[in-house]
Formats: sequence, structure tokens, C-alpha cells
Amino acid sequence: MTQITRDMLMAYCDGQLPESDRLAVEAHLAANPEAAAEVALIQRQNDAIRTMFGPAGAEPVSARLKPRRLAAEIGRRRIRRWGWAVAAVLLVGVGLGAGWFVRPLLETRPPSATLIADAVNAHTVYVAENRHAVEVGSDDSEHLTSWLSNRLDTTLGMPDLQAQGFALVGGRLLPGAPNAGGRAAQLMYENPDKQRVTIYVTAALPDGQPAYQFASHEGAEAFYWANARITCTVVGTLPEAQMKAVAEAVYSQLTEGDVSTGRPYRG
Amino acid sequence: MSDFLDQVEACVPALRRYARALTRNIDLADDLVQDCLERAIARRGLFRPTGPVRAWLFTILLNHYRNTLRTSRRRGEQVDIDTVPELAMPAPQPGHIALAELARAIETLPLEQKEALLLVTLEGLPYQEAADILHIPVGTLMSRLGRARAALRLLTGTPAEPHLRTVK
Repeated sequence: MTQITRDMLMAYCDGQLPESDRLAVEAHLAANPEAAAEVALIQRQNDAIRTMFGPAGAEPVSARLKPRRLAAEIGRRRIRRWGWAVAAVLLVGVGLGAGWFVRPLLETRPPSATLIADAVNAHTVYVAENRHAVEVGSDDSEHLTSWLSNRLDTTLGMPDLQAQGFALVGGRLLPGAPNAGGRAAQLMYENPDKQRVTIYVTAALPDGQPAYQFASHEGAEAFYWANARITCTVVGTLPEAQMKAVAEAVYSQLTEGDVSTGRPYRG
Repeated sequence: MSDFLDQVEACVPALRRYARALTRNIDLADDLVQDCLERAIARRGLFRPTGPVRAWLFTILLNHYRNTLRTSRRRGEQVDIDTVPELAMPAPQPGHIALAELARAIETLPLEQKEALLLVTLEGLPYQEAADILHIPVGTLMSRLGRARAALRLLTGTPAEPHLRTVK
């Protein structure tokens, strides 16, 4: 005879016992009043639970619990959410586009910084050259002067830096910043120790305001000044005192005859 | 897709009945079912296992119920006493268990026993399906059922039977 377990009794009460076991349990119950009473109690519990809570399953289902309605609502919500997402993407795009177009207006870098960077860059490139350091040599300095003066549309004299120990090597014409005439002249000087300084000259900036600035840029010292006629950046890697002496000589010679002359700096 | 919605719709009465028995509150129960349905419909095709829709729905309902219980326990449940509906109860009849007493007794069961007991007795689910819904082995389900029934017997004061011990 099959061993009757409590689980089997419970499964019998829940109607989940296979046919063969069910017959065995019924036989067991017939012979065991105690077990039969227990089974009867469980069955009464089951009945009571179904009596209490069963009717809720027969009530008419309210509209808010209709799956089709909920599905439609969820679909609408998704579309709205997608709408918002699309709107957000569009707004970000508009913002980026607007930012791109107003970018030049917000450019905070002053024009002098561009000129100084260009001057230092040109200095670094050409002082390293030996045979092609300049386009026109100092032996043809008259031609150099007239040529560069014409190109820059101003009078450009070659500063004399003999007193500072520097001789003119020559000069060349370079592309320059668009707001300073688009062209630049570079003059190169050299001392007996083969140290070189360059002078980077452009036409005046649109505002034509006088300005002075010392800058250290990528290992080179730069002295920048501007007036109503030209901008000029003296670049070199000399000790500071020597740089200042050269810069002052260049300044005083190139601004000779200009209206706003004066000492560019104290020191 | 509409086939899926039909299957869901067929389960709604059972879900309501089960939720009502769990919460003993019409509005809470319907909210629970609605949340369950929304989750199920929103996730269809994404997370739906290949098994029967009914078991999956009950799993979602129970998970959601446990979460709301945790939240309300943290917050301290607030129920307006007037909104708690009276359960319609047939008058006790001789030979039947007093229903109000049984209802109170079920309330005092640990949640894991209550969930299991109601799935099997009220919903009449096969043991295997009930165990799957609760993510437990069938053996664990059986022991929870056994403990729940023993507790109910104690709490309702039903004599553990005519207790006629045959003295040999």
C-alpha cells in the first residue's frame, strides 16, 4: 500500500492528486477518522476562502482595467514621450547651431594674441633655416624696404640694431591675420653668436589703438606693440634684459615720426 | 499582439480577486491590478517569458504588491477608516467556519504563507504554477501551505478534530 504523506493529504484537498494516489488516499481516509477529519477541515477552509473572496472575480471589470484601453493609453504616452524626446533633440540642435553662428561674436581671444602667436610661429620656423632663412637678403636692403613697404601698404624702414650687436639677415613676406591686412613682413637679425631675433610687422588692426604687451609664448619671448599704422612683434629667445633693449630700439626706430610716440613701458 | 491582450484580459477577473484577498480593499486592489497590467503591457515582448501569460501576470502583481508594502511600511500606511469597505459576509452557518474569524486569521499570516495559500485555494492553481509564480521549489510551497493551514486552524480555534484517540 502506498505511504500516505501529509503532502498527499493536502494535495487531495486541493484536488491535485493523480487518480491512482487519490484512490489510495480515499482508502486511507476511510480507515482513519483522524486523517479524514483533518482533510475535512482543510476542505472547509478552502471552501470558506473561496466563499469570502471568490465573488470579487465575478464583478464587472471597471473600464480602467481593460487591457485594450490601457494599451492604447500607454501607446499615446509613448508617442508623447517620443514627441518630447524629438523636441529636446531639435532644441539641442538649434542651440548648437546658434552657438556655432554666434561663436565669432563670443571669441574672447584678443587680436594681439593671434598676432603674437603667428609671430612666434614664424620665428620658430625660420630661425631654424640656414640657407633659406630669408627671402630677400640684407645685401639688397633697399629692394627689401620698398617691396615690404608696398606689400604692407605702409612705410617700413629696416631698424638698425648694430648697437645691440645684431645685423640684418633679410626679410620675407608671410600670410597674416585677415584683420591686419592679411600680410605680414618678417625681418630677421643675427648677432655674432648666431642668436637670432625676428620682427613681425603687419598693417594696423581695424581699431588702430596703441597697445603694448610682453608675452612668453612656447619658449620664446615676444614684445608686441601696435599703433595707428602698424603692429609689430619682436620675438627672440634672448635673456630678458637683452630682449628689452632690442625691443626698445625697434620700437623707437619704427615709430619715428608717428604721432603717438612715447616709452612703451617702464623697466 | 491583440492575441496577447486577449490573454491578459482573460486573467483580469482572477487578478482582481487575488488582489482583493491580499489587500482586503477594493480600491487598493484595483490600483494594484491596474499597475500590474500597465507594466505587463508596457513590457510585452521585451521581458515576457515564453511561459503562460497568467503566471507572468501574477508574478508582476506580487512583486508590485511587495514593493508597495515595503514603501507603505516605511511611510506608515494611511487608510481612512471610512473608506475601508465592509466585506459582505454570509451569516455563519452551522458546520461552517466563521468567515469573519477566518478572514482575520488570514490577515495575521506571514505574507509568504498568505500568498501561497491564496494562489492554491482561491485561484486553484496547480502547485507547480504557484511555485513558479513565487520563484520557489514545489517543496517549499507545500511547507508554506502546511504551515498556513495549521496556523489558521489554531487561530480560528477549530478543534484539531474530534480527537477521538482510540485507546488500545
